[in-house]
Amino acid sequence: MFKTTRRALMASALASGLLAALPAHEAFAGGEVTISHYFTGDLGLDGLKQIFAEFNKETGITVKDSPIGHEDFKTGILVRAAGGNLPDVFSYWAGARTQFVVNSNSLHPIDDMWKAAGLDAIVANGATLYNGHRYLVPFGYHYAGMFYNKKVMQKAGITEMPKTWDEFKAMCDKLKAAGVAPIALGSKNRWPAQFWFDYLLLRTAGPDYRAKLMAGTASYTDPEVLEAMDLWKQLLDAGDFAKTPNAYDWTDAADQVQRGEAAMTLMGTWITGYWNNNKFTDADYDFFEFPTVKDGVPRAAVGPVDGLVISANAKNAEGAEKLLEFMISKPDVQAKWASIQGALSANVNVDAKSYTPVMQHALDVVKNAQAFAFNYDLATPPPVAEVGLSAFAQFIDNPGDVKSILDQTQAAAAAAFKQ
Amino acid sequence: MNLERDKTLWRLAMLIPPLAVFGVLVVWPLFSSFYYSFTNWNGFGANYRYVGLDNFLQIFDDPLFMRAIVNTVIWMLAAVILPTGLGLVLALLIDSQVPGASVFKSIFYLPICLSAIVVGQIWVWIYQPDWGLLNTAINLVTGGDSHFAWLAKPGTALYAVIAAWSWQQTGLAMVIFLAGLTAIPSDLVEVCHIEGASTGQRIRQVRPATVVVVALGVINSLKGFDVLYIMTGGGPFNTSDTLAMHMYNESFKKYHMGYGSAISVVLFLIALAIIFAYFRQLRKVDQIYE
Repeated sequence: MFKTTRRALMASALASGLLAALPAHEAFAGGEVTISHYFTGDLGLDGLKQIFAEFNKETGITVKDSPIGHEDFKTGILVRAAGGNLPDVFSYWAGARTQFVVNSNSLHPIDDMWKAAGLDAIVANGATLYNGHRYLVPFGYHYAGMFYNKKVMQKAGITEMPKTWDEFKAMCDKLKAAGVAPIALGSKNRWPAQFWFDYLLLRTAGPDYRAKLMAGTASYTDPEVLEAMDLWKQLLDAGDFAKTPNAYDWTDAADQVQRGEAAMTLMGTWITGYWNNNKFTDADYDFFEFPTVKDGVPRAAVGPVDGLVISANAKNAEGAEKLLEFMISKPDVQAKWASIQGALSANVNVDAKSYTPVMQHALDVVKNAQAFAFNYDLATPPPVAEVGLSAFAQFIDNPGDVKSILDQTQAAAAAAFKQ
Repeated sequence: MNLERDKTLWRLAMLIPPLAVFGVLVVWPLFSSFYYSFTNWNGFGANYRYVGLDNFLQIFDDPLFMRAIVNTVIWMLAAVILPTGLGLVLALLIDSQVPGASVFKSIFYLPICLSAIVVGQIWVWIYQPDWGLLNTAINLVTGGDSHFAWLAKPGTALYAVIAAWSWQQTGLAMVIFLAGLTAIPSDLVEVCHIEGASTGQRIRQVRPATVVVVALGVINSLKGFDVLYIMTGGGPFNTSDTLAMHMYNESFKKYHMGYGSAISVVLFLIALAIIFAYFRQLRKVDQIYE
């Protein structure tokens, strides 16, 4: 009796050991793909869960999800990378951040999948190659515009939105006269301020110069940068920004506009998702394009592209590729995701009518723009972006120091580019 | 003889599990930090190379490092003065048998039971410019309309965080002082009172406790990261960075894992020096008692 029990025990131990040694996707049909991403709470976690469930139904592959809040994700994913513990798939921002990870050989190329799935014909705005290869599937993008509270504008007697810088400044004066702070900005986490720098530089020096600055071949001490910062300084000095932007988050700024304490905020289209959830709808808000500052400068639209990448040592690269293909190639999945998140779809086959009127307007603006530029912290390498974002916060705190701030920024940026 | 050897073997065997855990969680990461401090690793992937002392030399050219050192020293001094001073005063008050002493003891000790995240968030709310407790109180007293952003201004951010941190640490200091005071039998204390001992003389009784409180305060201040991370993250624009925060920002925000490791090595050496000084002081105190 004793002997047989012991033998049975040993046999079962051996069997379970063997099972554990088998790769997961061979032991179970479909297998499992691990993913980490920054779409939590306000940014559409529930929608993503539904999409993963649909993916499971279609392929039998289970998606094991570990979301991290947007701000913490930026460092959280690096902690996992440093520990050699990256998930199979993770969300990342197209542009300089992805380039940085590609350069360290941490991503799995997806050229074959891209070709087989015919993604060239499907993907809008995502024609980004990194060192000549495909690594990222874009699955949504955003546009940064001047989002405003319609009622506040009405009350201040503003019926037409400004097209030029002078009109814009006149509008700010009108709003102040009506007792409303014209511009809300929540730059506590620094990045919300970048859109001001992006647009002012793009509207004065133009996209080509900006690309040089982002690549480190132009200097923060150039007259082009100073001119853009000076325009920004004029607004700050005139009291056009609601008080102490560095004390508030972007959601606080959105709330200030919703409550009518401020008239507008320069923010990405994800603000529509946030507002819609807070019962502040299309009927209450709209946006206008950042005004023209100098004639003859090509009009650029600014925004980030959200994408998914596969880590170089993914345990289930095959399943991961399937997930990426599923996320981008199904128009219905894309339409659902876009509407939940307040994003524009990266799939050209998504019917524009599935968007809200505000988002249709955003889509038109992006389509008609002469250039699409990634926002600052996605356009320049992460170590440099870190320097610049702090510089913007310092400038907002003390605009009078602009010259010395730009000198410091150039010194630190040059050092960061060298590393 | 045999029995003795068995005992020793047993002791060694029993030591293996904790030593293994300590080795994996403390010693190994420590040595990897040393190792990476001589490389230009960015945290992602395996391409990095040996750069010699470059990272350590870079420290001297880094204005943010200098600011972090200054802030760390300010933090340490505050750690010695605020929780120690307040803790001593509270301990003396509670020990002098004021009515409800045990209730007060619990209340003042409570913050130390909270996690740093909770403490940080409570104080973020207290400092909130529009409806925070601090501005509301100031406005009530002065009749003004202050919306001062304590955590967003370079002049106040660091001190605002230190205040929150001291609020928590005071409870710990108080308990250690109380232990020092109550270690003296109460009939002896009574005799002292009758004989006319002054408060100053009583304070002298807690010298050993003071060494412990100050040393713990200084060591804890070097670890003062979590409250700062929640409240300012070193901001606005790095003005409230401490060494630990600067190390974190360089490693995980600028992707300079090699340089970040070099900063952590410097931080480690400073902590080591302080701990040595602490143990020397402890030995002196022991000698007094003997």
